[in-house]
Formats: sequence, structure tokens, C-alpha cells
Amino acid sequence: MKKLRFFSSTLILLLFATTGYLHAQTVSGIVTSAEDNEPLPGITVLLQGTNIGVATNVEGEYDIDLNSDQFQNGILTFSGVGFVQQQIPVNGRSQIDVQLATDTQLLDEVIVVGFGSQIKEKVTGNISSVSASDIEGVPVNSLEQAVQGKAAGVFIQTNNGKLGQGIQVRVRGSASVSASNQPLYVIDGIPVTTADLSINAAATNPLADINPNDIESIDILKDASAAAIYGSRGSNGVVLITTKSGSSGATQFDVSYAASTSQPSGKKDWLNGDEYLELFNEAFANSSTDGTINGTIFGFTRDGLFDTFIPGWDQGFDTDWQELAFQDNTSHKFDLSASGGNESTTFRVSGQYSDQEGIIIDNTFERISGRLNLDHTANDKVKIGTNLNLIQTVNNRLSTDNQFSTPIQLVALPPVQRPFNDEGEPSRQTVYDNGLLYRDGATFETTVFRALGNAYVNYEPIDNLIIRGELGADVLDQNEERWYGSSVSQFTGAARGAADNRYVRVTNITSQAYANYIKDITEDHSVDVTAGLSTQQVQTDQVYVSGIDFPNDLFRQVASAATIDGGTATNTSYSFTSYFARANYSFNDTYLFNISGTIDGSSRFGENNRYGFFPAASAGWILSNESFVEDIDEVSFLKLRASYGFTGNAEIGNFPSRGLYGAGAYGGASGLAPTQSPNPDLKWETTRQFNVGIDLGLFSDRITAEVDYYNKNTEDLLLNVNVPASTGFTSQTRNVGALENNGFEFVLTTRNFVGDLNWSTTFNFGTNQNEITDLDGQVIEGSFVSRAVEGQPIGVFFAREYAGVDPDNGDALYYVHSADGKDYSAGTTNSFNAANRVVIGDPNPDFQGGIGNTFSFEGFDLNIFFQYVYGNDIYNGGGTFQSANADFFDNQTKDQLDRWQEPGDITDVPEARLLGGNGTGESSRYLSDGSYLRLKTVTLGYSLPQDILDELSLRRVRIYFTGLNLLTFTQYDGWDPEVNTDFTASNITLGTDFYAAPQPRTFEVGINLGF
Amino acid sequence: MKAKESKIDLIFHTMKKLKSKFIHIFVLTVFITAGCDGLLDINPEQSIDEEIALSTSDNVEAVLVGAYNALSDDDLLGGQLLFEPDLLADNPVTNEVQWTGTFEEPEQIWRKDIQVENGQVAQTWIAAYNAINLTNNVLSALDVVDADIRDRVEGEALFIRGMIYFNLLKLYALPYSSGNINTNLGVPIITTPTSEISEANEVPRETVEAGYQQVLEDLQAAEGLLPQANGIYASAPVVAAILSRVHLQMGEYDLARQAADRVISSGNYALTPTYEEAFNRTSNSSEDIFSMQVSEQDGANSMNLFYATSEFGGRGDILVRPPHIALYEVGDDRLSLFYDDTTATGKWKNQFGNVGVVRLAEMYLTRAEANFREGAPFVGDDPINDLNAIRGRVNLPLYNAPTDFDLDDILLERKLELMFEGQLLHDLKRTQTDVGNISYNSGQITYPIPQRELDVNPNLEQNDYYEQ
Repeated sequence: MKKLRFFSSTLILLLFATTGYLHAQTVSGIVTSAEDNEPLPGITVLLQGTNIGVATNVEGEYDIDLNSDQFQNGILTFSGVGFVQQQIPVNGRSQIDVQLATDTQLLDEVIVVGFGSQIKEKVTGNISSVSASDIEGVPVNSLEQAVQGKAAGVFIQTNNGKLGQGIQVRVRGSASVSASNQPLYVIDGIPVTTADLSINAAATNPLADINPNDIESIDILKDASAAAIYGSRGSNGVVLITTKSGSSGATQFDVSYAASTSQPSGKKDWLNGDEYLELFNEAFANSSTDGTINGTIFGFTRDGLFDTFIPGWDQGFDTDWQELAFQDNTSHKFDLSASGGNESTTFRVSGQYSDQEGIIIDNTFERISGRLNLDHTANDKVKIGTNLNLIQTVNNRLSTDNQFSTPIQLVALPPVQRPFNDEGEPSRQTVYDNGLLYRDGATFETTVFRALGNAYVNYEPIDNLIIRGELGADVLDQNEERWYGSSVSQFTGAARGAADNRYVRVTNITSQAYANYIKDITEDHSVDVTAGLSTQQVQTDQVYVSGIDFPNDLFRQVASAATIDGGTATNTSYSFTSYFARANYSFNDTYLFNISGTIDGSSRFGENNRYGFFPAASAGWILSNESFVEDIDEVSFLKLRASYGFTGNAEIGNFPSRGLYGAGAYGGASGLAPTQSPNPDLKWETTRQFNVGIDLGLFSDRITAEVDYYNKNTEDLLLNVNVPASTGFTSQTRNVGALENNGFEFVLTTRNFVGDLNWSTTFNFGTNQNEITDLDGQVIEGSFVSRAVEGQPIGVFFAREYAGVDPDNGDALYYVHSADGKDYSAGTTNSFNAANRVVIGDPNPDFQGGIGNTFSFEGFDLNIFFQYVYGNDIYNGGGTFQSANADFFDNQTKDQLDRWQEPGDITDVPEARLLGGNGTGESSRYLSDGSYLRLKTVTLGYSLPQDILDELSLRRVRIYFTGLNLLTFTQYDGWDPEVNTDFTASNITLGTDFYAAPQPRTFEVGINLGF
Repeated sequence: MKAKESKIDLIFHTMKKLKSKFIHIFVLTVFITAGCDGLLDINPEQSIDEEIALSTSDNVEAVLVGAYNALSDDDLLGGQLLFEPDLLADNPVTNEVQWTGTFEEPEQIWRKDIQVENGQVAQTWIAAYNAINLTNNVLSALDVVDADIRDRVEGEALFIRGMIYFNLLKLYALPYSSGNINTNLGVPIITTPTSEISEANEVPRETVEAGYQQVLEDLQAAEGLLPQANGIYASAPVVAAILSRVHLQMGEYDLARQAADRVISSGNYALTPTYEEAFNRTSNSSEDIFSMQVSEQDGANSMNLFYATSEFGGRGDILVRPPHIALYEVGDDRLSLFYDDTTATGKWKNQFGNVGVVRLAEMYLTRAEANFREGAPFVGDDPINDLNAIRGRVNLPLYNAPTDFDLDDILLERKLELMFEGQLLHDLKRTQTDVGNISYNSGQITYPIPQRELDVNPNLEQNDYYEQ
């Protein structure tokens, strides 16, 4: 991006220069580097307060034409990326040579904080910033994916490779067990709707509506000091997204086009037809009455059983079902933006059309987005503006990972059955329903219309005081239409078709008013005070109707159904009111102090505990401003900082404190039934967080580093506590328990080469140890084998520990253990029920992060980015079907050929026994190390040199190639180690695979044009 | 609350002290749009507070409807409580049926290899106690119920509660017929409604005997309170029908035949002219004593889901096998109900049909069996007549003399008549008939106490079989 700015400013100014001025006097000179006296090309020379400017040429020379007044009184500003800006009065000189110092204060960037912004150097909290250059051009479905691995301590995991699906983001670990663990997202100051609105169990991701190319920066508030101003919504971190705005100057147009294609990032090895028959014949024999293939199982002969379950098995078919799950695909993305303005009004208008095809058959995501960001300075005191974004997305979705109809489940079908019958239609003679029937026989389309915007007034009644009033709205309309034709009746039970239609509208209105006072009271003392209030009201309306029995498959709307078999309409709301204040005080620009406090009220809590108070404080000490450090030449910047404070979490249901009855019906009469037991004392979940950090710059900031340690204690968890079902309830939301996250974060940025060849490296590393310290003795079950239990990280896998295979008889063995935990003294057992469950694994990574290298040389730019995750386990819930030594007729993974066959065989795969349940229970047999290192992105771009651009009258031309997920290094033998199957993904069910679609490996080529 | 308001006021006033009218404007803008205090007062729109739910007679009656609705849940009499015992009752040697579906839980049940985490075993438990809690809520609020309907409301609630405990005991505890009823554990007995939940809710299991006494107490009281007819809801004969099952299960044949006779002699019911007409009904047939009501919009029919083929809206997961078909005499009309090459039972072809709980044919068979066992003087009628009522309808030759049949014939008649209706397992257990090579009183054909329940209730004990 820096490179782009360099070119764009150069080009604009060149255009200006060519227009020329009459009666001009010329100022010329050479701009060189103070460091090495080399001439500096591309430095902007601008007459202050005007649009008049030029750029230096390759020899560092410039000429600028000024009128006589300007020649006498004007001031020239010399600026360039990476250099300290200089302002020099012309004073009638026609020759001005300038030496620019290298900018040692790269930390001097401004970053966005809640309700304001701050110079990074003075920030005493912990905030990770990701800029547009990290996001642009990465061919992802949703913006979080572009941030993956780029912000220390922020763990981002996509559930699976379907488009528009849920993404789990954990800022410094999971801070809650039952309430949401997703951060609060704030776009241009307005909290936006991010909750899952899916009709099925697989979450959708409302953030996928946002055009990543509109984003200027993403600032992630991680510690309490930064996040406490968001009070009860701050525990999971706050993601502040700032969109691009215009700047004054001639209107710049940017056009981009990109085309891409994707493949699955990984595939699994499955048995082919011969191998399948070999294994299953053996499995039959082992389970049959006489131990041979001539015996019977449940009275069935081999042929009888096979004919029943896998008709066609003896026809010599050899189908690679996995291939049929994927589609050839091409995606297109077209972006257009215009930005500019004058001194009083600036604007940026942008539009995007993106049409993504997924790797899985029938999976697409289309986005049309238009945005206008407008700022107008009405007079000295009043500034107004608006950001407005209109979006339509259309997502052709798939069934959840646990459905036969989801394409990846095709792999369960035996290779000895054929996919299509003689007529070319998907075969119905398959052991499980053939998911290919869904390809033509069903549709699932989710359309979202979204209006996201805000309008503000800034009023400056006296110097240094700005009062801002702001109203924001995020109105999300979602329409989900599903149709199941007669050809998929074996899935749906609707012989003559079924359809349903669900409409959801989420109206999310925020109004806020706050005042900001910034003043350098004396040279030594400066203050920055912010105080205000905000309210948020969110209402969700849903309407649903379903019907069955259509005249034929051409009718797909519920209106044509003979029978309406379901319908509902619901409405629910919640609200927040916040009163917040923050004060920053700095002494001598060296001693920094910050306190903040927020009082939050929410409709979600009962009368007894409706308001919560969330204070925080932090301090920083810029040692490099002290004489005893200033003298150390190598150290260009050094700051110590510490923070402590409280944040909350209220992301639970809307009325969890009440004892409630809901309506039901029986036999045409309406009824009432308890839905929830009361807990009138329910209150906020509170997180105390301590953070200490060092910011360091060395060798004129050629090396910068940030090191942080944090300790995050969450108490009064809003826990859905399992209760004895004999009460009539299964769980209750209570303030019970505590958990803790500890971590260490390290960010290192080095500029290895500066000059013609630029090479910089960024490295980030974040550890997090999560431990549930108190659940009041409860155990909370997730899906498959996940659970939350005291003394363990959230979501540990709790199951029997597989002990391999008895070499004597091929039985699967399990460690007996004790009810209290691992205890190998009792040996092993072949009885599944006789073995105790123990903690077998942990889905939370020990550490994760990313390494990026950016090179630029001449017109080329190259970016290579690796992302890594280490120390997490994956539980493959599908293993009991996929790798079950031929227990049932599912095709088996190739490793099942290593089954035990005769006494003395040493293997991990038990004897194949059809319907024998030998080793097929949930156990550590299906657990794997989920660590991975991934070549996340590689981008190679080339920008046309200036002389060619001049001839073409273009400001910028860049062509590029980007590869996403090109290489993945992992021990996991599933499709992809970035996985959490969509239908069970939750706070507790983490790192679980179940026929989850792999991530895409994407190849994109694109062109950026600027004029 | 008061203290916090004053803090807010403080901020508000501090801001006021900044003496800028513009601050007032901005702050007021926000207050006007938000309405501040009122903003936080939001009520649910699809629920009401529990105090309201039990405050009036109409509301309590509505909670009673809620109890029926809970009873008809697919995890209870909507199907799971019927077809899963059928799977458990299937002889693992001869296999009259076969589970061919992909759901692991029913497969474990069919294989008699139930794991303690079996989700379905947990779901049935959860649904049962949910319904019990509803009845306890109704029973706790009888004083607000109008006097003229109070007995009926109480009777219906007692009936539902008693019937659910009966079903829980049959599945989660060793059978009554295996003796040791004062030491064998039944299920937790809860007779008060749940409000705030505490350790007091960690209720241990009572003995089998205590459980059956609770069932008898509830059902006998219910029969006395209820009218002779009550539409689709419980009436005195409905309760008597279930009581006849309880007595059979306890081996109390005299009480069983008397209860069955009360149903038959009520005159409320008549066998349908043909066997086929007794099934796939969208409203009760003349033969239905009690059934779970299902419509397109409401209710669940898991029997259809698992027994019917996809042509009839089911999954076709339970296959009927030749060894079962072979049990029927040639010419038995009941044979013609099978379809798909006699691999599917035709009793559950209507996706939105009612799920029958008890029908009159069973009462004839119960009375016949109990009279046969107890001997003369017969209650109601001679067993031969009762059996012929069943056989005649399906075009089987009638018995001419008491010597034409013995107890085994009666039990076989009962099995074939009531097959795929959830009764087989309990009949096998009460008659001490082994399930193939598995003893009738083996824990292997008893459900485990759900692991999730053991995890949250330290006072619960697991069944011995699952503790090995």
C-alpha cells in the first residue's frame, strides 16, 4: 500500500505539473536522503494549503511553478513515505535543496480506539492494527479470513470451506463458556450485526456482507484498557473497522478486476473398488456364523447382505466419490471506486460485484456492494458526514456437514456402487441416499439485503472540544428459500416435493453522543478526555412457512404447496444503554496515564442486576524520551506500559433471568409449558484483565518489537449449567464459575532492506493457555466428545483412550483408567463400556501466528505470508464411519487396509468385523494433532513504470497473481486442519471434524487500474 | 439500582455543567430516540412469566394441554417410546426385524449394545421428566382451577404422570417380574414442580416397588376423578386401559382383567370392521382408546419416520424380516398390511397420522389372557370369545373349544396383533420370556441411566449391567 500511495501521489502531482501556470516563477532543487545523500525519487513537493504540487524524478529533482505571491510567501511541504516531512518557506528562493531524514517514528501512526483515535506512540492499551494492504487482494470470502494470522493473539478459524459460513474468532482465548466468545464488531463507530442468522445448524456469517476492499484499517482492542469503553461487550475484544474515506484533490478512479479458481486444499485417500471388496469380504467372514464368507450374519448370506445394502457391488464399479463432491469453478470480482473532494467536502464512492464459486458443487456466494463515505465541513465549528453501505448477497448454500445431502458425504458411498444410473441420473441404489440427487433436485438460496450506515455531526463550540452526535443503523433483511424436489424425497420424506421460506429482519439502531476534549495545557501537560453515552436497540423479526406436495418440480414456492405443514412468526428485542468516560493525561510526552469507565445497562438482565460498571486504567512510560535511554543510539523507541481493568459479556439469550412459559399446542388446543426456570439474580459476566507490555524500536526503527503478557480472569460466568433432567429442565443460565486465559504475544517487524530493493519482515506469535478454574463441579457436554470441565481448557476432548489392537485376537483395546483420570495401572480392556473416559486432547492451540515477507523491487512487489497454529488436537467425529475397519458399508479410508488379520499382527486398526462394533466407539482412535503451517498467501505484482503510465495517461496499472492456501504442512490426515464442523461448532465443540468441506486453495490473477 | 442511577445522574449533571446548549441538544437527541429508562424494559413476546402461567383456571388448563403436548413428543409417545423398545425386543438370534438406518443410537438399542452416552436414551429421559414437571405444575395449582373442572384437570394430570413413570420403570429399571422389587432401583420419583434449582433437586432413584406404587396411586386416583368420556383426552376408561397394563406387568392378573373389562364394558369403543382401518388414522378410530394426536402442523410421528418407507414419508430404517412374516397363519389379514415385499409394516404409513397408544384389541387380549390364567369365574367374558373377536376380524379360523388354545397361543396372538406398537418388550419381560439368548431380566435389555444425568446428579446410581 505504501508503494501504491507513492505512485498515486506521484502521478497526481505529475498531472498537475503538466497543466502549468502562467506568469510563474519556478522553484527547483534536489531532494536527497539525510542518511546516505542518495537522491530521493517520488517525494511529494506540495505548496501548503493548495493543490499545487509535483514529485521528484528519479534523480531526486523537482521543478515547481509558483505565482509571485506564492514565490514570496508560500511554504513547500516535502513528504514521502518513510521520511520525516519538512516544511520550508520559499522566501523568494528559486533553488531549494532538501535533505529528508528517515522517519524513525513509524509508530507515529494514528490508530482508531473506541470513540476516537490516538497516536500509537501514546497508546497504553493493547491494540492490534491491520491495514488495508493486508486485506486487499486476498481472495477470501469474508474479511476476517484476511486477518488470519496477522494479529497476535487473535485466533481465527473458519468452520469449513463452504462459502458464507461461520468463522470463529477468539481474541486472547475463550473468555466464556456459554455466552458468545466472538468479539464485538464496530464499523465506523457503529456496532453491527454479526450473529448467526442461519435457518439450519450451520452458522452464517453476516460479516461476509462487507466488501473487504472498502476497509482502511482494522484495529482490534485486546486488553481491558482499550476495550473497557465498550463495557459489557468488551470481554471478547472489540474489532473496530474503519472504512476508506476520500481526501481532497482531484477525483481518483480505481478499477480492479480479478479472476480466480480454487481447488480443495486437501483430499483424503479412500479405498477403491477392489480394496473395498477385499476388506468387506474379510469383514463379513470375520463376523459370520462360521467365520468364513459362506456363513451368515443375522441370517443373511454374504450375497444377501451385500445385495440389500450395496446393490451393484458385484458389477465391477469403481467410483471415486470424493471427486464428485467438488466442482470446477471460476470466481470474478470487479471493484470500482472514486474518491476526492475539496477543502470542505471529501467523498469516496465504491462499488463491488463479486461472484464466488466454491470448491463444493452448488456452492456460490455473490456480493453486490455500494458505499458512499462523505464528510463535509460546514464552517469552523460544524462538520457533518455520513457513511452509507448498501449490500446484496446471494449465497447458494449446502446442507450441514451431518447430512447425506452435503456433497462431502458422498465419500461415505462405496466405490463399488455407481453414481449415475443408465439414464445418467443420480443413482438411488446407494447404501446411503446419494447426495448427487441434491445437485439437481434441491436448492437452498439465502439472500441478504443490508443497509449499513451512520450520520454524524461534529460541533466544536470552543477550541479543542468536539462534540459528536451520531446515529447508526444496520438493517439486515435475510430471505432463505429452500426447495426439495420429488427426486430427493428419500431425504425429505416429501414424495411430491417440499419447500420452506424464512424471512428475518434484524434492525440494529445505535445512537450515541460524546464529547472529546484534547488540549496541551502547558508544554508538559496534555489531556484527552472523552465522555458520552450510547444506546443500542436490536429487534429481530422472523417469519417462516413451509409446505409440501407440489404439482410438479417446476413449482418451488410455498404458495403452490397443497399442504402448509408449518409456519411461525416471532419477534424478540434487546437493548443496551452505556455511559462512558475516558481520560488520557500525558506529562512531558513521556509519562502516560489513561483511565476509563463505563456503566452499562441491558434489558437482558433482571431488575436486581440490570447495570454493571466496567472501569479500567493504564499507564505508559516512554523511556526513549528519558536522557538515560536517549543516549543509547541503537534504541530509537522504548515504551513500557501496563493496564488493568474490567470488561463484561452479555451475549446470551434475551431473557435468561426469567422463569418463562411458552406456548405449545396439542390436538388443536393451545397449551402452555415451562421453557425456562427463573434466576432473578442473573448478572454480567465479568473479565478482569491485566496486561503488561514493551514497545521497542531499534536502529532508527528498522527493527520494531512489541512484547505483551496478559492475564485474563473471567468470573461469574454466564453458564448454561446442566441440571438434573428430572427437574423438567436440562440447563439453566447461572453466574457460576470462572476461567482464566494467560498469554504472551510477540510482534516483530524488521525492515531488512531499504532502497531500490525493499524487504520487510513481520512476525507475530501469540500463546494462550485457557483453563476453566471453576464450574461449580459441573461438566458441560458439547457435541461428539467435547466438554467443558474444571481444571481443563475449554472444549477438551473427553473420551476413552484407545490402546490399539490386541495382537492375539484383533480386538480393539482401551485403557481402563479410573473415573478420576488417566491411570494406566489397570491395563487395557476390550470392553468399551468398561473403560473410563478421560481427557484425551485439547482443541486450543498452544500458540499461533504468522510470518510475512514483503519485497519490492522496481515495479515488482512480492508478499509471502505463512500462518501457523500449533499444539491443538482435532477430533474426527466422522472417524467412526470413515475409519471403522469395515463396521458398516461406508467406504473406508485407505489406512484401514492395515487391519489386524492374524494373531501376531501388530497394527492400530482392529480386525475388520462387519456390524461388529470392533473399536468403533468414540475414542482417541479418532484424535489427531491439528498443528499446521500454511503458506497462506503469496502475491506477486507488477506495476507499470511511470513513463509508460504517462503515455497511457493512467495513474496506476498493476497486475498481480495471488495464491491462497498454497501449501499446508500438517500431521492431520483429514481434508484440512482448519476445521470445526458447521452443525456443532460452538464455544465448547471446537476442533471437531465431521465431513467438513476443506478450505479452498485459490489462484487469482487481477489487475488494478488507477486514473 | 438506586446507587447506580445516581452515578448516571452525576455524569449527566457533570456534562450539563459544561454549559453548552449543544451538549443538551445532543444528549437530548439520544434520550429522545432511546427513551433511556424505558429502553431497558423489554418483555419477551413468545413467552410469559411463570407466575402468570399458573394464575388462572384457563391458564392452568393450558398448562395441562402443554403436558399432553410434552407426552406426544417424538422422544416419548410420539414414537421413540414405542419403536425403540421394539428394537430392544427383537430376538438377536432370529432377527424378526433389522435396523438398517444410520442413527447410531437406535442401532445400539437393536444390537443390545447400548452405551451409557446413548443420546436417545437421554432424550427419552429428558422428555419424560419435562412432561412430569408439567403435570406437577398443574397439580400444584389446582386451587385456582374452577371447581367444576378441577377433578378432571387433576385426574388428567395424575394420569399423564402415572403413565410416564410406568414407562420409565419399564425401560430404565429391571422388570417387576424379576423380583427383588424392594431392592432393585427404579427411577427418581418427583411429585412437586420445579422452580429455582438447587441441590435439593438431586433426587436419587426409588426402588422398583416404590415406583410402581406411585404409578398405581396416580392412576387409581385419576380413574376415580375422571369422567367416562373426555374426547381425545384421558377419561376413566383410558386410565383403566393403562392400569390393565400396569397390573399385567406386576403379574396381578385379576386386577388386570378387571381393569380391561372396565374399558370394554364402558361401551365407548368398538373394534374397527377391518384390521387395516385401525391404523393410519388422522382422528381416533372407534377402536382407539388413547392416541397421540398428530396433524400436518403439529405433533410428531416417529413411528412413521422409522417404520415407513420413503414413499410414505419415512426413512424405512426398520426392516421386517422373513422370520417374522413366517409367524402368521396363512390367510391372516394382518399379513396384507405389510408392503414392500413384506419388509415394511403398514401400520405407520400416514406421515401425519395419530400415534396410537392403546386400542381396544389389546383389552380383549389382556382380558383373555388374565381370565385364562386366573380361571373361572371369568370377568366379562370367556377367553375364547375375546380371542375369537380378534381372530374373526382378521379372517382367521375361530376357536371352537377351550382346548383349541393354550397360553402360548394367547401370547402369540397378542404379539402378532400388537406387533410394531411398542408392547413386545414389556410382554416378553413380564412373561419371563428371554429375548433370544438374552435373559428376560438381563440389564442388557434395560436402558442405562443416561450418562448426562449421572454427571449432574451425584445421588443417582447406574444400573449394574452398565457398571461392569
